Amino acid sequence: MFRIIKKSLKIGVVTGQYRGEEKPLLPVIPEAKEKATLFKRSLAIREVDTGSCNACEMEMNALLNPVYDVERFGIHIAASPRHADALVVTGPVTVNMERALKDVHKQTPDPKIVIALGDCAIDCGMFKGSYAVTGPVERHIPVDIRIPGCPPRPAEILNALSELRKPTV
Amino acid sequence: MTEPGSCDNLLKAAFPVIVQGDAICGESSHFLVPKNLLPAITRYLHTQPSLRGRLTLIWTCDHRPVRDTYGLHYLFTLETSHHWVLLSSELAGNDRHFPSITPHVHAAKWYEREIRDMFGLIPEGHPDLRRLVRHEHWPKGTHPLRKDFPWNRVLGQQQGEYHFRRIEGEGVFEVPVGPIHAGIIESGHFRFSVAGEPIMQLELRHFWKHRGVEKLFEEQTLIGAVPLAERVSGDTTVGHSLAYCQAVETLLDLQVPRRARYLRALFLELERLYNHLGDIGAMCNDTAYALAHAHCGRMKERIMQLNDRLTGSRFLRNVIRVGGVTRNIENRQLTALVDELNRIQPDFSEVGAIIFANASLTDRLEATGVLDQQTAWDHAVMGVVGRASGIDCDLRRDRPFAAYDELPVNVALYRYGDVRARLRVRGDEIHESIRLIREIRAKIPDGPVANETSCSPKPGDWTLSAVEGWRGEILYMVMAGEDGRIHRCKVRDPSFVNWPAIQWAVPGNIIPDFPLINKSFNLSYAGNDL
Repeated sequence: MFRIIKKSLKIGVVTGQYRGEEKPLLPVIPEAKEKATLFKRSLAIREVDTGSCNACEMEMNALLNPVYDVERFGIHIAASPRHADALVVTGPVTVNMERALKDVHKQTPDPKIVIALGDCAIDCGMFKGSYAVTGPVERHIPVDIRIPGCPPRPAEILNALSELRKPTV
Repeated sequence: MTEPGSCDNLLKAAFPVIVQGDAICGESSHFLVPKNLLPAITRYLHTQPSLRGRLTLIWTCDHRPVRDTYGLHYLFTLETSHHWVLLSSELAGNDRHFPSITPHVHAAKWYEREIRDMFGLIPEGHPDLRRLVRHEHWPKGTHPLRKDFPWNRVLGQQQGEYHFRRIEGEGVFEVPVGPIHAGIIESGHFRFSVAGEPIMQLELRHFWKHRGVEKLFEEQTLIGAVPLAERVSGDTTVGHSLAYCQAVETLLDLQVPRRARYLRALFLELERLYNHLGDIGAMCNDTAYALAHAHCGRMKERIMQLNDRLTGSRFLRNVIRVGGVTRNIENRQLTALVDELNRIQPDFSEVGAIIFANASLTDRLEATGVLDQQTAWDHAVMGVVGRASGIDCDLRRDRPFAAYDELPVNVALYRYGDVRARLRVRGDEIHESIRLIREIRAKIPDGPVANETSCSPKPGDWTLSAVEGWRGEILYMVMAGEDGRIHRCKVRDPSFVNWPAIQWAVPGNIIPDFPLINKSFNLSYAGNDL
């Protein structure tokens, strides 16, 4: 026990130790902000991988580490789409995942926000046109917010998410 | 019985009809084999006590339009000498059948199902011919890697159902999990059959994320395909791009400058470091020990920020190129890097001490998810998972690449094959990686970091390349096509081999321990599905 306390005291607080100046490359549209006002100060996110290379997943996971600590902004990851306010979709939609994506979208209660994370989700990236890919996320479900990057840095994701929660006007 | 020549002689004595072919890439023997002899020869290679060949790769190549044949290739690694033995056979004309080797060599199971899906060639005598890559809704007769299948074809739909292996009996029920999971994980389906708490059987259903990577390679040039290789599996960016570039460099007969080879080793070790740190944290998190998770997450983030400062990419993207590396790392940056790692190492040691002093945590790790040595051997398991089950293989030592011929590696090896052993292998490898980076700093020579070439390979030339990524052996087979393009590129992530083995580590454990076991393997879905 003493060892654990000593370690914690030695390390101190690491939250916020990242370069935070990145602005979202694509602005968050007012319609999306309007939708998000309903969720007030909390946002439950369900992450859906429809064929990414797993770098985007890794950066989503990084948001939960003590350095970014996304929960301090009231954002948390829901274990089921039925508990979610927002879907974060990564990767081009593969033929095998198309149905699963539509199911998840249907299972998420309205109103909901769909966030396309990473270049692949926005326009299929390097996998555009492949026989195994059926198109970007917006071909299958309506997308509210796009966060470009391959993959976007956690600070950029965090920035877009906090933009979303700033009041309109 | 470790002399390479003696293995050739043994094989030729046992099977006089086989013909020795041209040697490919380094220490290897190549034999041309009639297809009806394949099961007998592979069985001999696999089981003969003086050879003990581990199945390393099977690939097929459609030679059209040059020749109307399919090439079948089987690569084995001999246990003691780490010598490669390659068996090649051909199917000519309308021949669509080849004998399955799965009844004798378990590790061939997924490879042969994959070949059936991607080429429409039928492995006769295979015990399980359900579809693997092509899910049931893919129309009949779609075999994407055939040359007459356009890369951008729009697939139709058909009805169909995948039949899981069923256990029937009183009190037995099935638990389906996935393809979309509860955490931030990739997509895959697991079907558990349980009676009470313990798992009786686990069956995997993967390939949800199949993106057609191997077909997309065929649309690229040899030089231009590096970004695609980086995106096979995002967390193994360096491993995949390095394996691909090495293959292309062999085809182009291009020498890599010494400084670049050292920098490649450096990037590979950095990738190993951040992934292993993250894995140890995630394993602790799956036993609900959030404190260790937070500490490991913090250290992993430190290394990723370090990567970002060094190269402009947290995942070390766009760093490896054909002929060397894209950017030089100055010696003073290397010194700063070593200083930072010198601070991280005691930090990690302290966290390690906290982890192993916690009895409730180690109790969850010990004897959980045991993959015994024989099962691991039968399934040709390697990498971190193999080394935790007593399979002593590490390409950095066995077939040195990059600068590893000048950097001896101490291989971590544990016998018990449980979650704890896999955690310990990772812990040891973190210390070893930091030691290696220090050694790289001390030994790195000055000089250029990339070479250029103007020559282009002969169409039909091909080569193999192998890299020990942080998960295990990454293999690439690249065959040159017309005008500097790629005719065929076979990608093999270690996950493809280790996924089937997880099915044998799980029975007898309880479902709540499955996430822990899965995390201790931490296999890539993207690299497996391609």
